[in-house]
Amino acid sequence: MSNQKRLEKSILNRRQLLQWGLIAGAGVAASSIAATRLLGKRSSVIIPPVPSASTDRSGMNPMSILRDFDYGTVTQENGRTVREFRVEAQTSTIKLDNAHSFITWNLNGRVPGPTFRATEGDRIRVVFYNRAGHSHSLHFHGEHPADMDGIKPVKNGSVMIYEFDAKPFGVHLYHCHVAPVTRHIGKGLYGMFIIDPPQPRPPADEMVLIMAGYDVNDDQKNELYAFNGLPHYYMKNPIPIQQDQLVRLYVLNMIEFDPVATFHLHANMFRVNQTGRSLTPSYETDVITMGTAERHILEFSYHNTGKFMFHPHQDNIAEAGCMGFFDVIGSKA
Amino acid sequence: MSVLRFFALFFSAFSLSVLISCSNQTSTPTASAPASPVAQSEMSPHSMHSGKPKININNAILSELDKIEAMLGVPALSNRIQASRPYAKVDELVSKNVITQAQFDQVKDMVTIEDIQLTGEAKDVDFMTKLGLMKGHMLVAKELLDLQKPDQAEPHIGHPVEEIYADVEDQLNDRNIKEFKTGLIALQDTVKAGAKDANKVDTEFKTSMQAVDGAIAALPETQRTSPDFVLQTINGLLDTANSEYTAAIADGKISQAIEYQDSRGFVIYANELYKAIAPQMAKDRARANTTIQTTMAELMKAWPSVLPPATPVKTPVEVSKLIKTIEQSAQKTASS
Repeated sequence: MSNQKRLEKSILNRRQLLQWGLIAGAGVAASSIAATRLLGKRSSVIIPPVPSASTDRSGMNPMSILRDFDYGTVTQENGRTVREFRVEAQTSTIKLDNAHSFITWNLNGRVPGPTFRATEGDRIRVVFYNRAGHSHSLHFHGEHPADMDGIKPVKNGSVMIYEFDAKPFGVHLYHCHVAPVTRHIGKGLYGMFIIDPPQPRPPADEMVLIMAGYDVNDDQKNELYAFNGLPHYYMKNPIPIQQDQLVRLYVLNMIEFDPVATFHLHANMFRVNQTGRSLTPSYETDVITMGTAERHILEFSYHNTGKFMFHPHQDNIAEAGCMGFFDVIGSKA
Repeated sequence: MSVLRFFALFFSAFSLSVLISCSNQTSTPTASAPASPVAQSEMSPHSMHSGKPKININNAILSELDKIEAMLGVPALSNRIQASRPYAKVDELVSKNVITQAQFDQVKDMVTIEDIQLTGEAKDVDFMTKLGLMKGHMLVAKELLDLQKPDQAEPHIGHPVEEIYADVEDQLNDRNIKEFKTGLIALQDTVKAGAKDANKVDTEFKTSMQAVDGAIAALPETQRTSPDFVLQTINGLLDTANSEYTAAIADGKISQAIEYQDSRGFVIYANELYKAIAPQMAKDRARANTTIQTTMAELMKAWPSVLPPATPVKTPVEVSKLIKTIEQSAQKTASS
């Protein structure tokens, strides 16, 4: 295998990329841009620099989760592209706010879990190691055989290898399917699973936003809500985006207990691509209603600069943590 | 933009150098993957190979892994195989530096990462451990029911069905044991509805508990009373208790009563199991017996009551340490 080939493959391995990026002192933001550059397919996309001190004292960093796509470790087997993802179910405590320390059940120490990303037709192999005490599982949305449906509990200390073809293209999700599912999802065992169409979508600044609720006192109701794991995070740490840059949001509603939540964007309209199942968006709006586990691709760009909010228009949900800002940075003339 | 380009170039040069310098390291199975996919039998996890049943290096209990250890004559290899999980392919035993290529060649026909039908003692230990976890859940459920706390008891009656039953269902059929999921669900319904009729709860609870006991009794008595066998079950229970206890505590407080109670149930049952083999242990392996008895007594102090204490009696680290001590003594015992 030539070094060039190895390099190409290594670029796709997001985790190594991050590790090396950090070792090199390049930082998360720079490495993600470097990756984008090296991949060469999004050369026209401008992502403003991400503030460096965005790791919260909770130990979680929603700013890095935002644009962190895990393409897996890529190999060729029997002439096919195989993407291997490794996840470990763990328990850890995060500080949701000043008053609430919450014990999460999570994958690789983060809530939401890694955003798996593949191209339609790839072979997906997810090595799931449960080290979280309870039995857990990973149930993927999308198509796969019955024995890969992830409803069978995987007991503590054991490994399950989920393997199937990535199809159909679109925005999917995965989550633990052990009952009570509300508790297993509510504690953090979920994530996004993006299957790209065979012909790539147009270049854009792509981000993942997952809405979720936290039932901090086990009363089957959510007391706190968040985008990408931490309540109010993007209010305190607005997401920088570039003026007139096409933004592509992969949005998932993972809120348990509340049947629906909307997604609303301030001072703009967005184009909706439902479940990402189309190559082009179908209509425009500024509020979209999503039931639990519904997800869509939303596309927009801002011409006006400044800070603009996004949040569900169930305003109690928004005000309990599920809201944030985009900070539109002006392009130099 | 030029800054970005600099980073990109620097980064590519750097990652190239990393790749070259680490090309025989663990984290890049890509680089070391053989050209011919070995035993990737069309990626089906259920395809069975002919010949002797293999050992699943991802899930096998230590006594199974001991067969590999014995074959290669490498001390403590079983623990190292366990510690380096998970494996996506069997040859990761080599790329993760658990064994050498030469050693791998000797054992590669014994190992798999595919889902296998357990056989022999491994199958029985697996069965017993799962039923032991059920027992643990049921024991704390009973304590909570006796305290008139059906809302707290409910998840512990749910767990055997939600987390364990599906995992043991095939084995129950194999062993011709009558299904008891229906009974457990009926009990859960009664308790969920407030457990208003005490007699009904009592009867249904007894039925379910007897069913679990009956399933355990399907194992031959020689096995159920064999210290080696029971110690392996105890290890499985304590390992799970360990994870659950950690998952109960945040900021030095027990914030999740469910996980505190889960771990309590597993440890109580592990202790019960040990008591039954203690006389035999005292005769055959006096020293290990003393260590396990003392450590178990110390460990039990972490769960003073079924309702969690205001502050944890022991930290998760202390609990882990005690459990480790028991596991090590048990293991020395098992292989001596």
